[in-house]
This record gives sequence, C-alpha cells and structure tokens, in this order.
Amino acid sequence: MIAGDNSRHSSFVLLRIGAHRFALPAALVAELAPPVKLHAFPHTSNSVSGVIIRRRRILPVYDAGSLLLGKEASGQQFYLVARCAGEKKELSAIPVSGECEMATGQVQPPDSNSPAHVAGTLVIGEESVDVLNLEALIASAPGNSAGSSRAGVQP
Amino acid sequence: MNAGNERKEKPARRGKPEAVILFYVANQMFAIAAESVQEIRSTDGLAGAANEIDQQVVPKVRHILEWSRRTCYVVNAGVHFGLPVSRPTLVLILRRMRIAVLVDRIDRMTEIPAVYPLPQAFAGKERRWYRGLAYIDDSVIPVVEPSGFLSADEFAALDRAIKPSAPQPEMEGAARA
Repeated sequence: MIAGDNSRHSSFVLLRIGAHRFALPAALVAELAPPVKLHAFPHTSNSVSGVIIRRRRILPVYDAGSLLLGKEASGQQFYLVARCAGEKKELSAIPVSGECEMATGQVQPPDSNSPAHVAGTLVIGEESVDVLNLEALIASAPGNSAGSSRAGVQP
Repeated sequence: MNAGNERKEKPARRGKPEAVILFYVANQMFAIAAESVQEIRSTDGLAGAANEIDQQVVPKVRHILEWSRRTCYVVNAGVHFGLPVSRPTLVLILRRMRIAVLVDRIDRMTEIPAVYPLPQAFAGKERRWYRGLAYIDDSVIPVVEPSGFLSADEFAALDRAIKPSAPQPEMEGAARA
C-alpha cells in the first residue's frame, strides 16, 4: 500500500475489484489482510461467500465482485477488512487485488442516476473513482433465496 | 492499515467446551452437539421401522420412523441444507425431538472449545439452521441447531399430512413382521 498526499482532505483507500477502482473512506477500513483461507458452508445469504479468520475474529466475506460487476472478479486474493457504516457495524471483508493505495481528496456528490451504493465521486488527478457505501452495496444484493443455498466447499 | 502475515489464526475462545459429533452431507462437514443425539443407526437397519409418507408440503421429509415409542420425521439433511444429492447411509435420531436426520457418514466425536456466533451478515435460513460456528482442524464448521431441522409450521403440516395414514400402534408389530 502506498501512502499518498495526506492533507486537510478526507482520506480514502483505493481498491481494485476486477478492472475497476473504487474508494472507501479510510476511517472505515481496518486492514488489508493477506490471502487467508476462505471457509465456506451452506447458507442462503446471496451476498456472502463465506468467512475468514482474522485477528482471532470470524469475519464474513462479501462477494463484492458479484455485487458491483455482476460476476465474480478474478485475481482477488487479498481481503480488505472494513466496518460498514450505518446500523450494520460488523467488521466484514471484501476480496480485493493486492493493489490498494491511500488517497486524499474531496468527494463530489453522486450523479442523480448513480446506484445507491455510490456515495460520491472522488476526483484524483484526471481519474474519477466511485466512493462505495458498503452498507448500501450489501443491501442491494438479491434477497435471500427461498430454496437454494450457496453450498460450501469441502476444506 | 497493514497487510498482516499468513500464519494460521484461531478465533478468540469464548463460551465453554462441548462434545460434538462431526458428520458429512454431500462432502460438507457439520457439527451437532453430542447430547442432542440419542442414537445413530444405519439406514439398512431401520428398514422395518420406517414408513414412506406421501406428502409434498415438506419435501425434505419422505419417511416417518417409529422408534422407542416415538414417531419421528426423517429429515434428509442434504435437502434441508440445499446441497447436491448424496447417498445417506446413517440416521441421527435426535433426543427429545420427533426428528431423525439422514446423513452420509459420521467423521468422529470430538470436543470443540467454543461455539462462535454466526456473523450478522448471514441473514437467511442459516440463522435457523445453525447455533453458530466451530473451529476444528483449521476449518470453520457450522454447528447445527437441532430444532432447526423442522419448524413448528412444518411439524403441523406433517402432522396433518400423516394423520389419515399413520400406522396404528396395534398394527405396528404386524407391519414389522
């Protein structure tokens, strides 16, 4: 992770999911975890792919690639551990590539047609990066299925 | 923020140790409290005690089992958990419940140091299925909630479905013979 320009602006962690970059408020991010074992078991929560153990806690792993891109993102070997804003304060992990960096800047309001999980736009040089609202992203997952479960994989 | 090392971690110990039976369904391992299991029987050995029931309301139940003066509903654990079709060979007859559970095989009985709460992210049926999670041999294993195999509504539906066709006690011996 590369420390960038830290000034009076808000700090963000830039992460890569698939071919896209997103930003998360740094205040919500606990750590970038190394590739640890994903433990999967049967369940019906579509946005969750399993759990990891990190710092002696069992953390749920959200399948952010599917939620953001509509498909599982490849090459996501690390986990960004963050706390959801809002009611769901639970520490959670999302798979990311190892390419994360810090950035500072001011957030512009989201476009009127932006999805709910985009809290705003962070402008870094000539690049605009969507700032994620994790809680809204998780809430956007399809409802729990009635009959099918996400079957676990045998460890 | 930092990327940590890769050493194996165990979740912080909370709660108290308890004995569990580890079993497999469709290559997925589960744990169930040993004290909630009354007996483990081979499906072959129950042929005379099990009766097929004709109902579609609760698809995971296809048989009732007359056992120790009780009528148990036999729940196919693979269907219950939405797992691929497997070939169950054992029945866990649960203690103080009218439930028997079809499973593929038993791995072993062991003691787990604690049952960890299911993270809030899991918000579906699994909250009824599991008491929590256990950490065993570098794996996180769901700890089954015995009463989660059949809800009160499912019991009521099954009771209604079998009422006309349930074997009468005096006929039971004849049926087995």
